[in-house]
Amino acid sequence: MSSVNLIIAREYLERVKRKSFIITTILMPLLMLLLMAAPTLIMLFSSPEERRIAVIDDSGVIAPQLRSTEELSFVVADQPLPLLREDESFAGILVIESGIVGEKAPSAVLYTHGASSIMTEQLIAQQISDAIENQRIKAYEIDNLRQILNEIEADVTLSTVRIDKSEDAETSSLVSYVMGLIMDMLLYMFILIYGQMVMTSIIEEKSNRVLEIVVSSVNPTALMVGKIVGIGLVAITQIVIWGVLLAVASAWALPALGSAVTAVNDPELAGVMSQLGDPAWLASLFGWLVLFFIGGYLFYSAIWAAIGSSVDNIQDASQLSSIATVPVIIGIVCSMSVVQDPDSTMAMWVSMIPFTSPMTMMSRLPFGIPLWQILTSLGILYLSFMGLIWLAAKIYRVGIFMYGKKPTLADLIRWARYK
Amino acid sequence: MENILIAENITKEFTGHRALDDVSIEVPRGKVYGLLGPNGAGKTTLIRIINHITAPDSGRVIFNGHELTAADTAHIGYLPEERGLYKKMKVGEQALFFARLKGLSRQEATVRLKEWFERLEISDWWDKKVEELSKGMAQKVQFIVTVLHRPQLLIFDEPFSGFDPINAGVLKREILKLRDEGSTVIFSTHNMSSVEELCENITLINRSHNILSGPVARIREEFSDNAWELAYVGSPEALQTAAEGAGANITLTGIDPMGNAMATLRMPSPKDVRNVLGAVNGAVDIRSFTPHIASMDDIFVRAVEMSNQQQQ
Repeated sequence: MSSVNLIIAREYLERVKRKSFIITTILMPLLMLLLMAAPTLIMLFSSPEERRIAVIDDSGVIAPQLRSTEELSFVVADQPLPLLREDESFAGILVIESGIVGEKAPSAVLYTHGASSIMTEQLIAQQISDAIENQRIKAYEIDNLRQILNEIEADVTLSTVRIDKSEDAETSSLVSYVMGLIMDMLLYMFILIYGQMVMTSIIEEKSNRVLEIVVSSVNPTALMVGKIVGIGLVAITQIVIWGVLLAVASAWALPALGSAVTAVNDPELAGVMSQLGDPAWLASLFGWLVLFFIGGYLFYSAIWAAIGSSVDNIQDASQLSSIATVPVIIGIVCSMSVVQDPDSTMAMWVSMIPFTSPMTMMSRLPFGIPLWQILTSLGILYLSFMGLIWLAAKIYRVGIFMYGKKPTLADLIRWARYK
Repeated sequence: MENILIAENITKEFTGHRALDDVSIEVPRGKVYGLLGPNGAGKTTLIRIINHITAPDSGRVIFNGHELTAADTAHIGYLPEERGLYKKMKVGEQALFFARLKGLSRQEATVRLKEWFERLEISDWWDKKVEELSKGMAQKVQFIVTVLHRPQLLIFDEPFSGFDPINAGVLKREILKLRDEGSTVIFSTHNMSSVEELCENITLINRSHNILSGPVARIREEFSDNAWELAYVGSPEALQTAAEGAGANITLTGIDPMGNAMATLRMPSPKDVRNVLGAVNGAVDIRSFTPHIASMDDIFVRAVEMSNQQQQ
């Protein structure tokens, strides 16, 4: 085995075998799932609790129309408000004024013990509105007015069809938007976490002086490249594991969801489902994600490697480290606006500049952009990471032997010029 | 081939500071070679150049008759002065990693490591993590890693720091054994008594220059200035007149533990010894008369001070 391969193997195995890696790799998707399922779960477990609302209805027409639900039961009050306020068996007291039906902006008051919830408030307000509407419709004394109104109401669904593609494809901007955000967040997270891991690991080697021993058998450039590649492989392992988990989960969940959606018969939702259920689309996104991760990671980890080699401890690194952290953050901020308008000139440019291209390209990709743009962006990114790694190696082999003085950016540039 | 390693006119400059200025050394094969000098003189830079870690600005390094290449590091073992190990890795696993970096196969490395671990009585550390070891223990592991691939050239930078006298002795024996088996050793230290004990040749570097090079025996003789130590009974004045009359320079140095008076006599040249001794013998009762051999400590201090004065 060549020495670079040995370095890669050590860096990789050291991390993959660690308990923390195994735990985060398995727990993170579970945690995400839990987070997504949380609202449903909370609803499932919190619904049985019934809340009683006392109703003081001075108009006399609203109270009979209020229908109790699983969460709320309305009770017409037989006591005046001051007495009811003492009665803790009611969660709330709803006071409706006599002239409410005739008012331009009808209002009612809900007195509660403790905090009420938005859900409760909306439910009550909706019921009162419906009741007032019914009263007003009745007041016009026109037959079948309710039915006429229903017939008048129009609910438009807009579906978008891309005509710049070989075959007209129905796309959902919503899905692209969400996918774009998820993917550039993922990329941002991976580049930041794993790129900085390269830096800390180099600082660690330098400060405990194991580096002096390693470089007596391996040349510094091989050591640096081996470390970057080894840590990068750890990241790719994690991405692939998550990808597989996601594929398995969706293969299992999508058909069930799909049939549920057909039952609901909502065309927009059906569009979302058909796009999400397209394995070719998902696979190509995943493929690009990996390619852009490799480019972005190598680009940034080269910068972090150079910084790590030049300082003695993590504290000294923070200032220089912003050389890399700031552009990554700019990248994620840009991609937030890029998902709003993926075809703008700004979007096009930020996805070509290697500092921001990995993140912004990820947020444009789900919308479907010309292949030449993707390839150009990828090409620029790959060429620039090669240049950066070459530069970082020059700084690295000087930096690792510099102790004591806290270096500046100017020092790094000067080191790069040493023979 | 007489010399395993020749460094010719090595110059290395860092920003605004010349670490090595036209330094040349010749390291004879199969010997222990001392590389000495005050802190910051440029020793570590020279060692790094010999190890192919950094490149010189000018000059060249000849190893085994050809210009040094990266492949030659497989025949060099280097124990740096500042040294560490991966803290989270197990001792055995880590030693294997370093051995394989030097080009040994996994099986070969395992066999040799087990042998060395037994030899230095640390077999039961194999599965321990490095962070559980004391500094001295870690040094033993580093020593093994340095010598495991049986390099032709071994470079030890302060190998005994962090060791108790017993373990330092064990290490010293192992180093000499390696030399006897044919390895050449470059030995960098500030401990001059171990230089006297181990080294056949030395180079003394001060302020980026090679200020003194050669066999230890010859250097010590040269720095003795034809001085002799005299223990006597009798009148110091009589001694002084007699010695100076014969052309020697005399310093009275006090009383030895036996109660004899002591003096150092410096002869103008080696052939004056006979004359001076005759004159002194007539003046006082001689108890002992021995050639003064300069200690390496003394030589180090004198040579460095001399070169500092010349530069100013």
